[in-house]
Amino acid sequence: MSIEIRNISKTFGSFVALRDVSLSVPAGELVALLGPSGSGKTTLLRIIAGLEVADSGSVLFDGQDSTVRRIGDRQVGFVFQHYALFRHMTVFENVAFGLRVRPRHERPSKAEIERRVQELLELVHLGSLAKRYPSQLSGGQRQRIALARALAVEPKVLLLDEPFGSLDAKVRQELRRWLRQLHDELQITGIFVTHDQEEALEVADQVVVMNEGQVEQVGTPEEVYDQPATPFTYNFLGSVNLFRGRVHEGRVQMGAIEMFAPEHIEVRHSVAVGYVRPHEMAVERQNGGESTIEATVRYLHAVGPTVRLELERSDGGDLIEAHLSKERYRELDLKIGETVFVKPQNLRVFVPDNYQI
Amino acid sequence: MAVVLKRRSILPGFGLAMGFSVLYLSLVVLVPLSTVVLKTATLSWDQFWQTITAPRVLASYQLSFGASFVGALINAFFGLVVAWVLVRYDFPGKRIVDGLVDLPFALPTAVAGIALTAAYSGNGWIGQYLETLGIKAAFTPLGVVIALTFIGLPFVVRTVQPVLQDVDQEVEEAAAILGARRWQTFSRVILPPVLPAVLTGFTLAFSRALGEYGSVVFIAGNMPMRTEITPLLIVTKLEQFDYAGATAIALAMLVASFVLLLLMNLLQWWSRRRYGAL
Repeated sequence: MSIEIRNISKTFGSFVALRDVSLSVPAGELVALLGPSGSGKTTLLRIIAGLEVADSGSVLFDGQDSTVRRIGDRQVGFVFQHYALFRHMTVFENVAFGLRVRPRHERPSKAEIERRVQELLELVHLGSLAKRYPSQLSGGQRQRIALARALAVEPKVLLLDEPFGSLDAKVRQELRRWLRQLHDELQITGIFVTHDQEEALEVADQVVVMNEGQVEQVGTPEEVYDQPATPFTYNFLGSVNLFRGRVHEGRVQMGAIEMFAPEHIEVRHSVAVGYVRPHEMAVERQNGGESTIEATVRYLHAVGPTVRLELERSDGGDLIEAHLSKERYRELDLKIGETVFVKPQNLRVFVPDNYQI
Repeated sequence: MAVVLKRRSILPGFGLAMGFSVLYLSLVVLVPLSTVVLKTATLSWDQFWQTITAPRVLASYQLSFGASFVGALINAFFGLVVAWVLVRYDFPGKRIVDGLVDLPFALPTAVAGIALTAAYSGNGWIGQYLETLGIKAAFTPLGVVIALTFIGLPFVVRTVQPVLQDVDQEVEEAAAILGARRWQTFSRVILPPVLPAVLTGFTLAFSRALGEYGSVVFIAGNMPMRTEITPLLIVTKLEQFDYAGATAIALAMLVASFVLLLLMNLLQWWSRRRYGAL
């Protein structure tokens, strides 16, 4: 089922949670709503589910306005951050709940319910725990039961609110991969909320970056990571180095850095901000001529495949972060306190006027 | 080789705490109650039986246990509603309403009795309207039920409130998304976890109502065979210096209450195992 969100706005008292958000999710895709806390992502998810009512705008399922539909009739599965399992019911009863509360004429037979619940428990690899109570399960197991419960009613859309937020790193990794597999198997439209950029980039087909109640950028993980449309997206997805300067008719001047930015050809005498990812910083021992910054190595972190350098600029003392491959690091043979020359290789320039694209 | 087999607990102080508990319970509960048995023992078995099965006494048991039960039942239901409102909704004056709930605890029972009588008698604020409906509240068994409901209210509210607070609102939302109707959500998701607390509140309200004297005697009118509660009969006997007769009725009441409370505790234990604190 495809989902179309049209001009949704929502305020809580004086706090604006969502301002005029529009978004469309094609059927069968897994979409991540990514943003810091307070960006409105959970509110948007709850509005899609029908748990919250928007002040204005509408949500369309397969082109039909769902705003008027009763919450239980939307065919939506929802997985809560803190599982929201029924504590007084066994795992089996939890999963069976959605089937048992159906009106008599729609309710499957007892044997049928038993079969389906068992099937779902197998799907989430917890078939042997049917008789346990939620309190006897680990966090990861509870989350999978919550998922099985949501899937029991055969939803057309699966919504997950920070599904792995309260789990430890290892379990999180595992469940992430498993969610992706499950989604590919079931072919249902899925939306999940997360503040973890790594999670969004790894699992989702499309990432929706949100900030202060607005959508900053929509795109595939590669698009939002490699071509951030706004400074916010640049900052939020991964670490970034920031340079301040001016731009005039496409000519950018940021301290020692001089470059040409054709996209700003019409800008005259304006303040500009440049962003470079740490792995896009070339580090040399010799001065490489134009647009090179002299800096001192302040900190070295050499664990893992990439080496992280913290450099202090000789002009002004700002800190720069640079990532090197292990090979390059060995080649340079750097030590703390040594002087190096860095050159940004892929500088994206933003002018305050076009902050809001 | 000597092996020390003494068990050590990581929670020290059991001996001292247990000893103190026994001493305290003895001084405050067991010793006073045993005098009831001792005094009653001055009667012969026949006298005892006659005292506790006199028609007037039997009628009072019926009223005391019946009205207490009905009062506790009403409280179980409305107490749950009040607790629900106090936990789930925010409204102006919530603190005041919350405070009102405890009033029956704090009010001297005689004050409560007089106030209730004034309100529910034939020309009282509420009584006059009931009268037009053909219902007499004051000086009837209904009045007794009203008084016993009044004093029992805080018990249910205060036992249910914290448990209800623990029931996550997300759980209700989960049920709604899974297609449950409102009453299904209530009966299958909300009620089971709070049921043990409701039962506890019911038991407390019931036992408090059994022993209640002050607030009832004014509104009941104390007509023999109709609106006399058992505690009143005990006081009447004491006023006639029939101490043994008074303790005999007290003993009968004590035993009956104890059996009932034991049954309810068993029921609670069962419901807690079935639904509660898992």
